[in-house]
Amino acid sequence: MSELMNDQENLDMYDSTDSNENSTVERCLTFESGDLILYISTKHVIEIINNHTITTLPLVAPYIKGIINLRGQVLPVIDLELRMGKGCINSDEKTCIIILDINSVSLGILVDSVRQVVDINLKNVRPIPLKRQQKLLDGMVIMDDGSVFMSIDCQALSSTDE
Amino acid sequence: MDNGMESMLDTYLFETNSLLDNLDEMLVKDEKLGDFSSDDVNEIFRIMHTIKGSSAMMEFGSLSSIAHHIEDLFFYIRDKGIDSLSSQHKKELFNLMFRSEDCLRGQVEKVESGEPLDTNMDAFASEINNFLKKISNAPTDASADAKALADTAKTDSSASAPSSEGNLPEDPGAVCFIHIFLDEGIGMENLRAFMIINALKECELDFRYYPEHMESNPDSCATIIEDGFYMAFDSEDTAAKAGDLLRTQNHIRSYELMTASGPEPEPAPVAPAPAPVADTAGQPAPAPHPEPAPKAPTPAKQAPATPVKQNLISVNLMKLDDLQAIVGEIVITESMVTSAPELNQLSRDAYDNFMKSARQLRKLTDDLQDIAMSLRMVPISGVFQKMNRIVRDMKQKLGKDVRLTLIGEDTEIDKTIVDSIQDPIMHMVRNAMDHGIEDDVNDRIRAGKNAQGEIVLSASHTSGEVMITISDDGQGMDPDKLLAKARERGILTKPESEYSRKEALGLVMLPGFSTNQTVTEFSGRGVGMDVVKKNVESVGGVVSLSSELGKGTTFLMKIPLTLAIMDGMKVTVGSSIFTIPIANIRQSFKIQTDEIIRDENGSEMVERMGSFYPIVRLHRFYNIDTEITNLEDGILMWIESSDRSFCLFVDDLIGEQQVVVKPLPVFLNSFELKNYGVGGCTILGDGNISIILDVPSLYTATLENI
Repeated sequence: MSELMNDQENLDMYDSTDSNENSTVERCLTFESGDLILYISTKHVIEIINNHTITTLPLVAPYIKGIINLRGQVLPVIDLELRMGKGCINSDEKTCIIILDINSVSLGILVDSVRQVVDINLKNVRPIPLKRQQKLLDGMVIMDDGSVFMSIDCQALSSTDE
Repeated sequence: MDNGMESMLDTYLFETNSLLDNLDEMLVKDEKLGDFSSDDVNEIFRIMHTIKGSSAMMEFGSLSSIAHHIEDLFFYIRDKGIDSLSSQHKKELFNLMFRSEDCLRGQVEKVESGEPLDTNMDAFASEINNFLKKISNAPTDASADAKALADTAKTDSSASAPSSEGNLPEDPGAVCFIHIFLDEGIGMENLRAFMIINALKECELDFRYYPEHMESNPDSCATIIEDGFYMAFDSEDTAAKAGDLLRTQNHIRSYELMTASGPEPEPAPVAPAPAPVADTAGQPAPAPHPEPAPKAPTPAKQAPATPVKQNLISVNLMKLDDLQAIVGEIVITESMVTSAPELNQLSRDAYDNFMKSARQLRKLTDDLQDIAMSLRMVPISGVFQKMNRIVRDMKQKLGKDVRLTLIGEDTEIDKTIVDSIQDPIMHMVRNAMDHGIEDDVNDRIRAGKNAQGEIVLSASHTSGEVMITISDDGQGMDPDKLLAKARERGILTKPESEYSRKEALGLVMLPGFSTNQTVTEFSGRGVGMDVVKKNVESVGGVVSLSSELGKGTTFLMKIPLTLAIMDGMKVTVGSSIFTIPIANIRQSFKIQTDEIIRDENGSEMVERMGSFYPIVRLHRFYNIDTEITNLEDGILMWIESSDRSFCLFVDDLIGEQQVVVKPLPVFLNSFELKNYGVGGCTILGDGNISIILDVPSLYTATLENI
């Protein structure tokens, strides 16, 4: 929790220093998956749910956790950690599903925990220097407190080819 | 194009298409009889008139002009009576009409796809005109008059104006009349006239008008073009006022104030609409006497028919889909509510009361579901009627004499299914015409069959399914020839001698199989029956065929009534719940270990009713963890789909339930689960999701691709 508070302060600082610039700021939801802090633009986020029963599907890639029934709509759920080729998420009470709408493809991503919404200046986003190593990330941004947020490649997320 | 225009266009297309369907049906029927009935002549005239009017309104010039010419043609035919045409002419007329129908349809299709219309229709129009000239010249004595009449009807209304002065309508109360002529070629004259009359009535003038009922009687149009129309006034003052008002109205070429010189002795326009026609036609040509007879009843028949209120509306299919989806949700939510665990905390009385209301609700939702389903049901006759046309066209091109018999046209079936089985049926009918029926009539006669071939298209309901059969009494299929052909194509999967008769016939449904040596215009592209099979299976149906050499071939399609809702059996495997369509289930049973038979690979089989069936362990195929791995502990479901039959091993049965079928999210398409037995999913009463198994693809995935 203290970490969260810190972030909040940093964020405020960040805001005050950069707000004068003519910048492209986007509101983003940050969340944790594995040991990474990731963010995704809030324009893609529909809602965050937890404690949902996931129906597993046979014969799909392991990172597809299954499908859920969200008020009559059937949505696929992806385990983000598995999608990035790491171990699977240990479910606990902080685990939740973020429902996204990427170019009218609806899907849920299973993440360790959700942090908060921050404004991120897209000008500060740097490409990841390691070429063709990443499956799902397409940028990184360093915050004023030195923590690094990674950007999720929405296109890669909404397609199933690896 | 704005919204209003768009919906008008929708309505226009819907109307025009149904009119053309109507026309098609009529033409095919009449051609069989070799004659037009006078009712049909009137009907065609009316159809063309409506198409002309609405096309002109939508500014589709080419459509309007073709319809206009056909209207002229039928005006003449109606006038002279269809009997005045020789049989040769009738034949030509049928061909001409079929071609005009195709031409109109072509234009309508262009409108539908948003392409520009053909602007130049003169060639076709002059063809119609030539035919009109031909038939109007042919009848012996009445030729000149008839031609003159046809011309008169078309354009020359001024010539008939003087003669019509004497045609004052019979109205003893009237003091004076106003006789009005409309501008030439404005279209929908009767309605324009009526609008003028309405405008005058709105100014609180009291008068009567002739022809009566012009607004609802499209026939009056011709009369108004030719003779203008009358307004009868009780006083000269009103007539004068009306005269002033008429100057402000559009589309009036001329009008004339006339005083009534007492009751007119001339009996002419008693029944205003047909009378002037009967008058002019009857006098110079006494020869075709029988024609007034059929003509007389027609106006009487049409008059009561037109004011019938339209009780049908056309609804966008999308809206029905939405309705269906919502009704499905309601059904699910209802069972979620009624099976909520919180209900157990209610007192006994309260619980009873609740259940009483819940039962009431269940009944209502069931009714709602039935109605929502029935909205999507359409009779299959639309598809069947189209086959009439195909048989007719092919009959002429192939020179085979074949009749098409339709049975059970009024069988109702889900709209989306109808759309997807139209092409398969068309294909099979073409195949029957092309390959089924013998090329040489003598072959038929030698085989002791009727010289005229027959194709029977029938539809009937069985529980939850529609059976459609297409059978011909042609030469049938030769299994040996089929096998030889399949060998040539290299699509045999086992030694020829091992093919049973049924399997050999089934070869025609394999991709790349076409028995015709040469590709014809109608069939034999080698993408035939396998596509048919695929299409039918995509709507959950099955195709099978039986054929006897020399006797004919029968294709049988079994198609579910609807795709959206089906009866399913819920089974568990581990923690997953699967739904198997009830239609696919033959039996469920438990077995003892000693009943299991194994082959050299250890694949398990079981004997049921004298045949052996493979056992598919669902938990193994889908890699699901379950405690029940011993065949004795679980349940075997004997399932089949067309010719594929096997036993599925599951943990347990939960029960039967009607389920609303939902597709899997498109995101998962790349996994091609459809090819691995997953047909879709459904939401259960408790909000959980169950996977619906697709039996044919499950069979293919588990037993054919090892």
